[in-house]
Amino acid sequence: MTLKEIQELIKLLNKSDLTEFKMKDGDFELSIRTKHYEKTRIQAISTASAQPMMPISSIATPFVPPAAPSSPSPAATQDLPASSSAPAEQSDTEDTSKYLQIKSPMVGTFYRSSSPEKPPYAKVGDRIEKNSVVCIIEAMKLFNEVESEIGGKIVKVMVEDAQPVEYDQVLFLVDPKG
Amino acid sequence: MQNRNTLFIGKVLLNYASLESTNASALELLSKSNPSEGTVISAYEQTIGRGQIGSSWESEAGKNLTLSLILYPKFIPVRHQFILNQAIALGVRDTVAAFVDSEVTVKWPNDIYIRGHKTAGILIQNQLLGSNLQACVVGIGLNVNQKIFSPALSNPTSLLLNVTSTLLDLGSVQEELFIQLEQRYLQLRGGQEAKIQGEYLQYMYRYGTLADYERADGTRFRGTIAGLTETGKLLVRHEHGTEAFEIKGIKFLA
Repeated sequence: MTLKEIQELIKLLNKSDLTEFKMKDGDFELSIRTKHYEKTRIQAISTASAQPMMPISSIATPFVPPAAPSSPSPAATQDLPASSSAPAEQSDTEDTSKYLQIKSPMVGTFYRSSSPEKPPYAKVGDRIEKNSVVCIIEAMKLFNEVESEIGGKIVKVMVEDAQPVEYDQVLFLVDPKG
Repeated sequence: MQNRNTLFIGKVLLNYASLESTNASALELLSKSNPSEGTVISAYEQTIGRGQIGSSWESEAGKNLTLSLILYPKFIPVRHQFILNQAIALGVRDTVAAFVDSEVTVKWPNDIYIRGHKTAGILIQNQLLGSNLQACVVGIGLNVNQKIFSPALSNPTSLLLNVTSTLLDLGSVQEELFIQLEQRYLQLRGGQEAKIQGEYLQYMYRYGTLADYERADGTRFRGTIAGLTETGKLLVRHEHGTEAFEIKGIKFLA
């Protein structure tokens, strides 16, 4: 992407109501947040499940390769399809298909720790066991400790603290061999 | 001291002189052992009482009830958990109503009000297993004999400020609380959800009355609480229609 193209993109984003734009193309990653971002973030916290995350898939390449199975499972975690059939061109980017996902069992607000002063339950690089608490999802003043149904190493936290999450939204990527 | 008038709530009662948070202790107990359903952890003094994330619950030592109850409501689907909030709130409301003559209401979602002043708060922490609740810690702070409150609290009250006696027996209030909570929990377990939902509305603060509110964006409006959505959002009817609110999306104005 050239500088001119990025400038054009910023102009376009400023005219839109988008809060955030992310794209990834090979080694190239771009993330732009507009002036609406902070405002919407605060509103999003206050209205939790009423507002799903701003859809960005219509214009941006999804950051995570679409590897989730089509049928949603009620369980909090799901296995990704085996990576054996993954196309070869994925090898130059981060191969996320070998990771397992921890998904949100409910609509609510995602919290990484039990209170702002406390350290997060799980951060990148942490080893978690089966039944480890990894986060809290709050809905209507009910605070739900979400336990992992898998063991492994946290490789990515997919949601920021105090953000609204949807049912089945991916919260963490876990490397089962980590 | 054991409670003799209930089947399971308070049968195991763990009293502590001082705890940071009864909820935290109950969660710790759950992580290390398998406490029986109805186990209660109570603190004479709670040093770091918790309300919602980021807010605290203040209580003067020895004057109020600060306790946490362990339940295993495995029959409640995660997505339907607001009903637990409603059942517990009604149990605490019934307890307060047994001691005071004034109007006792539940301010959505789960604060207990005596004539518009807050006398009790509830903090529920669940452990999930797949799509159902596994274990649940119900933290209850009930102001009983406290008379003076921090000016930081907007509209606190206690049982004592609403009765004619000079002191209430904490043990009696606690016993009543266990009885009322058990009754509501058994209703819930017995499938009487419609009864709980109906009574929740019946005792809901400002239900059906015109009052002033403020949205999260600062806009103000007059409206009437018309009910709840399935997940527990507040429905308020106003001149432009009916609007659903999350907890932090609406402020009750005086």
